[in-house]
Amino acid sequence: MRLNRQHAAEIISHSFIGRGYYRLVLRAPDAARSALPGQFVMLRVSEYLDPFLARPLGISSLPSKSTVELVYRVAGRGTSLLTQMEPGSSLAMLGPLGRGFPAPEKGATPVLVAGGSGFPPLHFFASRLRRSGRPFPLLIGARDRAGLPPQPVLSSFRKFGARIAVATEDGSAGVKCMVTTILDDYLAKCGPAASPVLYACGPRAMLAVVSRVARDRSLPCFVSMEERMACGVGACMGCSVRSGTGGFKRTCTEGPVFEAGELDWSS
Amino acid sequence: MRNKMPEVRDQKSAMGTPDLSVELAGIKLKNPVLTASGTFGYGEEYAEFVDLNKLGGVIVKGISLKPLSGNPPPRIWETPSGMLNAIGLENPGIDVFLRDKLPFLRQFDTKVIVNIFGYTVEEYAALAERLDDVEGIAGLEVNISCPNVKAGGMVFGTDPATTHELLTAVRSRTKLPIFAKLSPNVTDVTAFARVARDAGCDGLSLINTLLGMAIDVRTGRPRLANCTGGLSGPAIRPVAVRMVWQTAKCVPLPIIGMGGIMTAEDAMEFIIAGAAAVAVGTANFLNPRATLDVLSGIEDILVLRGAAGLSDLRGTVNTT
Repeated sequence: MRLNRQHAAEIISHSFIGRGYYRLVLRAPDAARSALPGQFVMLRVSEYLDPFLARPLGISSLPSKSTVELVYRVAGRGTSLLTQMEPGSSLAMLGPLGRGFPAPEKGATPVLVAGGSGFPPLHFFASRLRRSGRPFPLLIGARDRAGLPPQPVLSSFRKFGARIAVATEDGSAGVKCMVTTILDDYLAKCGPAASPVLYACGPRAMLAVVSRVARDRSLPCFVSMEERMACGVGACMGCSVRSGTGGFKRTCTEGPVFEAGELDWSS
Repeated sequence: MRNKMPEVRDQKSAMGTPDLSVELAGIKLKNPVLTASGTFGYGEEYAEFVDLNKLGGVIVKGISLKPLSGNPPPRIWETPSGMLNAIGLENPGIDVFLRDKLPFLRQFDTKVIVNIFGYTVEEYAALAERLDDVEGIAGLEVNISCPNVKAGGMVFGTDPATTHELLTAVRSRTKLPIFAKLSPNVTDVTAFARVARDAGCDGLSLINTLLGMAIDVRTGRPRLANCTGGLSGPAIRPVAVRMVWQTAKCVPLPIIGMGGIMTAEDAMEFIIAGAAAVAVGTANFLNPRATLDVLSGIEDILVLRGAAGLSDLRGTVNTT
């Protein structure tokens, strides 16, 4: 029988981890048993009707066999209210939902590209890459230093084997350029023999450029889309994104991870 | 599990548990809880969370003759206790519905009501005819009230003469019970309810979404690519209850009441206002089991009120 995906998830820990981010660990054994990197949950931030909808949040790791970790940034009233929820209380949670990142094939070099607050699914993905024992590049783009992932997350990425390179628009950290520029440089340096495979999550504009870089170099590229959602299970059609072959794809069920070529990046 | 509806209802009745069954324009529902069109997909999306055998019925997402890809994103926007949507009736079309979607629903002991819409009167009528003799369909809900497509939907439902022409055409092509899903975006909904009755409709669905809009103040842009969208959720419930009450008083057609039902108490407002059945809509998005929670709560409320069945409370607004 399929594992239950509707949970009253008890908050095990909930803490501020810097740069506007919170780390929320929820007890949801069925979710922890089945979640794959790139999948997400729909989390209700309160039991009241305003804010109304559940929030889609990418799973950032599975700290234990029975818990799910979410790292989120306060972006509005919903996430602001969420910060006030204390350990011991429970939140209505649906998940894991959607299609995750496919594991890299043997011999391939996973290249992770994170923009803005898009790193949590990549963090979960990176935790699985650790098993291969090989280091892998993680390229992070942000507007400025304050927009980078919080320090505990960066340390955790390093522990998993990530070699981190940073690009900021204002040059306050790392190289002053777009993350796609350091991606291009990296790919030029490592060459096709390394069989790079791109895994990206971040703002749509960044994903569009990453997709173009991948297409120009004929590299496989998987992007995780962030869209507003209502149901998370494919019913409301609210999170549709343009398909590369016409029509739309639902981010919640056909994504959130897509092969970049599946989508239309023109608009 | 499938195809089997345990006979608990009879035992419970014997124990004095209220009778939840409803006859809706000749359709025998085991209970009054349906799913509102567009919020429950084609049943399959929620079958993991809800035993569909337990529902009174499923009103499926709107179907057109040809597949429709819908509106560009963004399509949804959260509002206080509600949401705006402008999906644009994205659907796979009647052929795919009959081939891929309906067979799934047929496995369950629940009534399937198919929501239909078109861009012309003839399209609506052709859909009605296509579905007329199809096994596993209990009735049609005629969507004349979607605010999100230009030609189809609301344009029909906000003009009495076109509403009459359209519903008469649908009536002439099917023997199935037909429910007109009326638009709340009119001054007097009862006028349209009368038109639906005169055109031979068997029931009414009240209400569709209210036309709304939200704007990003920083950019001046509408939050939805379609500019306007349909408002749903508990924010619209008082409007819906009022319209059901007004309509039930003066038009003798069974009403499926809907609009922001989150709980059994919400559902009972509609029943007391005069609805024969209720449809749970946007609540499914927040809680996939909302329909079942509403259902069990209705039973509790009937017990609390000492009612033997829903008919004891239907249309009993106390205005003295």
